[in-house]
Order: sequence, then C-alpha cells, then structure tokens
Amino acid sequence: MIKAILIFNNHGKPRLSKFYEHYTEDTEQQIIRETFHLVSKRDENVCNFLEGGLLIGGSENKLIYRHYATLYFVFCVDSSESELGILDLIQVFVETLDKCFENVCELDLIFHMDKVHNILAEMVMGGMVLETNMSEISTQAEAHSKMEKSEAGIAGAPARAVSAVKNMNLPEMPKNINIGDISIKVPNLSSFK
Amino acid sequence: MSDVVEKTLTALPGLFDSQTGAARITNRLRQLIKSITELTSKHDEENLIKQELSAMKEQVSSPNTTMKQMREVMVRAMYCEMLGYDASFTYIHAIKLAQQGGVLEKRVGYLAVSLFLSEGHELLLLLVNTVLKDLQSTNLIEACMALTVVAQVFPKDMIPAVLPLVEDKLSHPKEIIRRKAVLALYKFHLIAPTQVQHIHGKFRKALCDKDPGVMTSSLHIYLQLITESPDGYKDLTGSLVTILKQVVGGKLPVEFDYHSVPAPWLQIQLLRILSLLGREDPSTSELMYDVLDESLRRAEMNHNITYAILYECVKAVYTIHPKAELLEKAARCIGNFVLSPKINLKYLGLKALTYVVQHDARLALQHQMTIIECLDHADYTIKRETLELLFRITNAQNVTVIVEKMLDFLHGCNDEHTIIHLVCSG
Repeated sequence: MIKAILIFNNHGKPRLSKFYEHYTEDTEQQIIRETFHLVSKRDENVCNFLEGGLLIGGSENKLIYRHYATLYFVFCVDSSESELGILDLIQVFVETLDKCFENVCELDLIFHMDKVHNILAEMVMGGMVLETNMSEISTQAEAHSKMEKSEAGIAGAPARAVSAVKNMNLPEMPKNINIGDISIKVPNLSSFK
Repeated sequence: MSDVVEKTLTALPGLFDSQTGAARITNRLRQLIKSITELTSKHDEENLIKQELSAMKEQVSSPNTTMKQMREVMVRAMYCEMLGYDASFTYIHAIKLAQQGGVLEKRVGYLAVSLFLSEGHELLLLLVNTVLKDLQSTNLIEACMALTVVAQVFPKDMIPAVLPLVEDKLSHPKEIIRRKAVLALYKFHLIAPTQVQHIHGKFRKALCDKDPGVMTSSLHIYLQLITESPDGYKDLTGSLVTILKQVVGGKLPVEFDYHSVPAPWLQIQLLRILSLLGREDPSTSELMYDVLDESLRRAEMNHNITYAILYECVKAVYTIHPKAELLEKAARCIGNFVLSPKINLKYLGLKALTYVVQHDARLALQHQMTIIECLDHADYTIKRETLELLFRITNAQNVTVIVEKMLDFLHGCNDEHTIIHLVCSG
C-alpha cells in the first residue's frame, strides 16, 4: 500500500502532498520536512530507496524517490509494494504529467495543483495502484478537462497562448522527461511586447 | 521563470475581454503564488497567507459568491493547507461545493474534501448524502468521483448505507466503474472487515472478470486476504497460475505492455500471491514450478521493470516448497544482482540475500567479498542493508569480525533510529 505521495522542490517547498493514511496537519508538515531532509542529503549516484523517517513509520516503510531537475517525487510505501515497480510507477506518473501538460515544468504543477491531483487520483486510489497505463490515466483525467475547455471557449485562447510562450522558452527538448529549471534564461525576445 | 515570461503570463489574460472559467480561476492563485515566491522570510509568508485567508473567509461567507468563485477559493484553500496553514473554515464549503455544484465544482469539492478531512471528522456525515446521490447518478464521471472519495475517506459507521450501491457497481457495464468499485470495497474490508464478509463471493467474480484491469484490482484484495489466511484460498492457485501463464505468454492486449513487458505490475502481484499460497505446501507449490521457470526465463531484458519481476520470482522460488533447478537459477539471478554495477540492483541483491540466507547460508558466503565491500559503500542505504545481512550470517567463526564492523558503523552513524534498531536486533 502507498502511504503518501509527495512532490517538493530542491528547497523543500511542497508542490503536491497526498496522504493515504490519517495524520494530523502538523504531522503532515513534519513528515514533508523530514522526508525532504532525508532525500536532499542523497548523492546523485546512490540508489533510489530509503528507509522511511520515524514519523512515517520508520523501517516498516520505504521512501522511493526520483529527482528530476528541480523536483523530488517521493512515494512512501509499505513492504507490500515492489521497490522497482514503484520506481517505474513514478516514471509513468511523470510521463503522464508530461502528456497532459505538454512538456511539463515545475510551474505547471504549481499553478494547476488540482489538475495534478486529478491525474494522480486516476493512478492511485485509496493507496492502491488503480491504473498503470499512461494513455488510460490521461484519458480519464482529460474527460474532465474537455469539459473545462468547452466552458472556457474564447477565453481558452490566453491559456493556449501561454503554453505557446512557455514552449518558446524552454531549451531543446531531449527525448526523456525534462522538467525544466524555473529560472531558465530566455533568449532575446525584445520584439515580443 | 524569467521576467519577460512572467510579464507575458500576467499580461495575456488582460488582453482579452471575456475572462471566464480557467483564466480567472488561475489568476488569483497565480497572484498569491507570485507574491509568496517574492517574499524571503517565513514571517512575511505567514502574514501574507493570514491576509489571504481572511479575504477568503469573507468570500465564502458572502451570499453573493457564485459556485465558480467558490471553486477558485477552494483551490487557494488547498494550496494554503498544503503549506501548513489552517483553512478549516472552508471545509463545510467544500462539502457544499460537492453537493450543489456542477461537475467541475463537484470535482474540486470532492478533491478538497479528500485532502482536508479524515475518517472520524464530524463533517463527514454531511458528505454521505452527496455520495449516495452521486453513486446513483447516470453520469459516469459523477459516479467515478463518488467512488474515489469513498475509497479515500468515509465514516466507518456509514458503510452499511453505501455498501449496496457500491456492490451494485461491481456489475456495471463500464470497466472503470467496476475497477473503482473493487478498490472501494477493498478499502471497506481494511477498515471494517466484518461489514464486507458476506460479499467475498463477488470478489471471486471480479477475479474472473473479462477485463484484465478489474481482475488486477481484485488481486489487491486477494493479496490481503491470502496474507491474513492462505488456507482458505488454495483452490485459487490453479486459476492464478493460468492467468500468470497467459500474461507471461503475451496473451494480453498490447495496451497492457510496458516497455515490451506484458503487464509487469500484474505479474509482480501474481508472483507475490503465489508465493504465499505455495509456502510450506508441496502440492500447491508443484502447480507453480512451470510458470516460475517460464517467468525466470522470460525476464531477460535490461529494464528496471524486468528486474522487478525477477526479484519477485526469486523470492517466490525461495518461499515455496524447494525445487532444486529453480533454486539454482534463482541463486544465479541473485548473484547477478549483487555483482551488478547498477546500484538499485545491488540493493535488491542484498535484500534478496537477506531473505534467502535463512534457507541457504552458502549463497551469502559465496558472495562474502562483495558483501564486505558493500559495508564501506558510499551509499548509506546499501551500508544499512549490508548490516542487516551480516547480522543474519553471523556464526561462531565470523562473529567477532562482524560485531567489530557493526560497532564501527554505529560510531559513524548519526541516525538515532538506526542505532536503536540495530542495537535491539543485535
């Protein structure tokens, strides 16, 4: 069973926090801080598995994490989950985010927190893995978005323009997931007023 | 993002006249977040959020606030709560949003409820009626949302009220509803097992569902039930072995493939269940030897997920009644893991050795040198795992050396929890 899913940036600021077990508000915050503390100490060449901190169940639970540019994706699971399986699940989640947001970056997660939650809810339900296929997850999540787009109508144009601008900024797209740096240097855009 | 893009982002919505829906909704959140990122101290952040929260409080108590505006406030409330600030005045409004709003408002309302509330919260009772209504709705999306919320947070005492409706969904024509219903029932079983005792027969139906997704979901339940008491489910072994054979043989539709591996998570789940069923039971184990052999053979490719499957295979081989050829293959597999330069695999190899050592201490001794090297590994997790292993292969000959190494580690260890754990098990 998955106990919690956390996404935070390199400074420990939470971008998404979902708990599948009950903790008080305070404990949740402490767990986020503790997890960040544990995970940020790790080098780049070590394995992606850690024992859970004391607050989240200690050695009974494992932290499985991936670090993408400015974000840490951490899944806290108990012993009934396969470590490598969860590692790939994180990859599926990120690839789905990339599909749903068109070249996702940290800003997308910040400004569309509810959409990220909705995507996650199609993948993990009540702490159990519901769906592992990226297209299925995004189809379910987008069934809702289609409604949002038809509601937006003409006002959807700014949203499309914004994503066009964002795409202009990002440097060359490598084939694998690139959650770009928030402080990307933009080339000369003086003609764009 | 750079200044140019920031300016563009804020200017664009203003260039257009009609501002409805998504644009307006994200605007105020954008402003809030922008303001927070510009602040440098925690104290400033607290003040800003307090201001924001009182503005929100006014908005939610005002009778003029539309559902759309409430939806926007709710997203901001979720953001504040995520950062650790209390926005409990919004909880009741979240429930109202789920009750009275259109589909989009409902979605945000339900999301807010699942993030804010927990079992036992007094407001949850108010949610029950909304959930009941949505479960009966002909709108698929509403029914899905209701099922998701029920699996996340639902008052234990009200389960009987909602149980028949969820049960009903097990025979729904749409497979996504059946799947969610299965997981919701599994959640019920975890929090109130006696309430769902009578529907175990329906779980069997889910296991034989024509849709592999529903079948996979039912395996979550079976893993739990079989962990609790394997004897009642030995008769399932034959069917599970058949399923695994078909999956490994590539009989599933291609959508279930992940990097050319057929339904890997399903394979992992099946292997775990089979290992529990075959434990200390020679006749049941007999049924699985072929498929385990086949799985070991097939998982040859070089992807993380095939290693995950291999690991489960190996564990299964060592858990069930032993068979010589399988044990040999599994031992070779573990050897490859431990000697692998890939660090995740090394970790799994060590974990496997720790598990296996109770059955076959020779395997660990075979890899003694590698294990000793791992003790000085740069990666703390590897060191920790090695210590666990060493503790288990202690015998009269090597006890002195091992205890010495353990003491060395403890001296250098900063983590209180680890120290306590090691000293207690030592």
